[in-house]
Amino acid sequence: MGTLLQLLLRSLETGGIYALAALGIIIIYRTSNITHFAQGAMGMFNAFVVTMLFTRFGLPLWLCTLGGMGTAVLSGFAVDLIIVRHTKKVSPVAKQIITLGLIMVFVGITPMLFGVDPLRLPRFIETGAVALGGASISYNGILNIALGVGIMLALFYVLQNTKLGLAIRTTASNEYTARLMGVPTRRVTLFAWALAAALGCLSGVMIAPVTSVTVNLMDSVQVNALIACVLGGFQTFYGPVLGAYLIGVGNNLLTYYVSSVWGGQILYLLILLFIVFRPQGLVGKKMVKKV
Amino acid sequence: MKLRQSEHLFSRAARHAHVRYLLFGLALCLLPALAAAGVMKSAYLINLGGVMIYAVAAMGLNLLLGYSGLISLGTAGFMGLGTYVAGYLFSRADLPVAVSVVAAVVIPTAVGILVGLVSLRISGLYLAIATLCVSEILRKTYEEFDSFTGGFSGLKTGYPVLFGMKLSRESFNTVMFVVLVIALVGVMMLTHNLVSGQLGRALHAMRGSEVAAQAMGVNLLKYRLIAFALATAYAGLAGALYMHFIRYSYPALWTLGLSLNILAVVVIGGLRSIYGTVLGALVVFGVPDLIIKNIPYIKDLPGVSYIFNGILIIVIIMFYPQGITRLFSDLKTLAGKPFGKGARG
Repeated sequence: MGTLLQLLLRSLETGGIYALAALGIIIIYRTSNITHFAQGAMGMFNAFVVTMLFTRFGLPLWLCTLGGMGTAVLSGFAVDLIIVRHTKKVSPVAKQIITLGLIMVFVGITPMLFGVDPLRLPRFIETGAVALGGASISYNGILNIALGVGIMLALFYVLQNTKLGLAIRTTASNEYTARLMGVPTRRVTLFAWALAAALGCLSGVMIAPVTSVTVNLMDSVQVNALIACVLGGFQTFYGPVLGAYLIGVGNNLLTYYVSSVWGGQILYLLILLFIVFRPQGLVGKKMVKKV
Repeated sequence: MKLRQSEHLFSRAARHAHVRYLLFGLALCLLPALAAAGVMKSAYLINLGGVMIYAVAAMGLNLLLGYSGLISLGTAGFMGLGTYVAGYLFSRADLPVAVSVVAAVVIPTAVGILVGLVSLRISGLYLAIATLCVSEILRKTYEEFDSFTGGFSGLKTGYPVLFGMKLSRESFNTVMFVVLVIALVGVMMLTHNLVSGQLGRALHAMRGSEVAAQAMGVNLLKYRLIAFALATAYAGLAGALYMHFIRYSYPALWTLGLSLNILAVVVIGGLRSIYGTVLGALVVFGVPDLIIKNIPYIKDLPGVSYIFNGILIIVIIMFYPQGITRLFSDLKTLAGKPFGKGARG
């Protein structure tokens, strides 16, 4: 029982990291109609900013994280203003290639600004753990879970209950009509890119202590976040978040109880089977194509 | 009179698509000679060889994406499978090179057909990420399945034995370069034939409208499976070529990044363009090593080739979303304007 609880708590932590990245991807997908393959690369870049602020200037980590999220917002603005805004006529597949170009740019800039050596980023709360029904969880773990869930809830509140959220949802459902209705879709898209970059930065800072800060920091997060989007369905904002937590839980349970070597593959295989039988994802609606 | 006739024959032959492919191949075969003469750095042969290998893989994805409109992000996984099958059979099981190559094409194709079955249920972005899922399963398997793949540290093979002769270090690059050219030209001609025939028309119809194609009697299951089988066969072949050319394969090569790069080759080169695919491969895989690393002052900065390539890719997509083959036709009309104004009316 204790082990199971321990596994679930840890899954909530990793699931939260995937969920933050996935939420960024889905917001970009819904507002700009781009599959954001560079979500991980941008998160990685801004995680490097955080690490640099921390190691070079010795600022407290929370302040560094805020600084990183600041640069994340700026980089999101830059991507939308310089590139995405001018690609209205580009086909959806070609738009995905633009995010590939973005990956290359960010992967290239990072060693130029921050050097090629891997860096270390500590956890928010270095020590201390609390026992909970036979399981133990570090204070940092609790903080990460709380941050993940808290940000998610706050964002869903904004999406459902504020004017800004309404503007985002309208843009997501039909950009052209939204513009006709007076929704400032350009500003909404700009905001979406900044938000996605900030979320990516946060998930980067959360996963950094587990490994070291390198250009490959976010590779697995990127892949899992994309798969979470498919698992949850691209039609809603909460579907991918649900998918991300499920991947976190599934991965930990399968690697512990079934096979530490093949657990990951089995999880992906199960997801694949699930998509075959339910192509629209967990909470998506089935689209009927008209001839 | 006779001279003119033979001239006519020649120009007609030169206009024939297959003759052009052969001429293209012959021109490529001159490159090792240039390297030997010292005009070109011989290290470029390895870079260009890599470009040709990725062009083969991209040709398969172009068949899939360009003609049938199905997106795959699994190319890297299948290419990796090709390398491991070829490498294992050649270096560990001591089978001839030819057998290893054939197996490296057949085994990924079989897996690709299974993925094709998945594609009947889902399409678009969902299919892209489903194939990414397959690719990740394969990559994790390469990491864990030590006895077959050598795990994280990878699989190395010796110099291949071709036509009964063991290649030496000196002759290796030249001979393998020519082999790669032959493979590339063969794949270009095969692709040309495939898409000009009934298969191409069926795939065109499917891309336009699945429902309409079905109504016209196009068997969706059959053609989707064929498209996937071909794409993975090409990827497997590219993997086998990679293994025998580079002689080293490790799991970190076969990631989402490579699949995206190959997708970029197809989009940049232009959908449904055979020469465009080769050109796209040159832009994506060749430009960093061949050009950017030779520019003084900036070549020493870490990561600079990535930045330039990224910007290049973004700029091409923004201004030539139909692919760089359009650039040439644009240049042609631009060059022809002063002369061709009257003729066009």
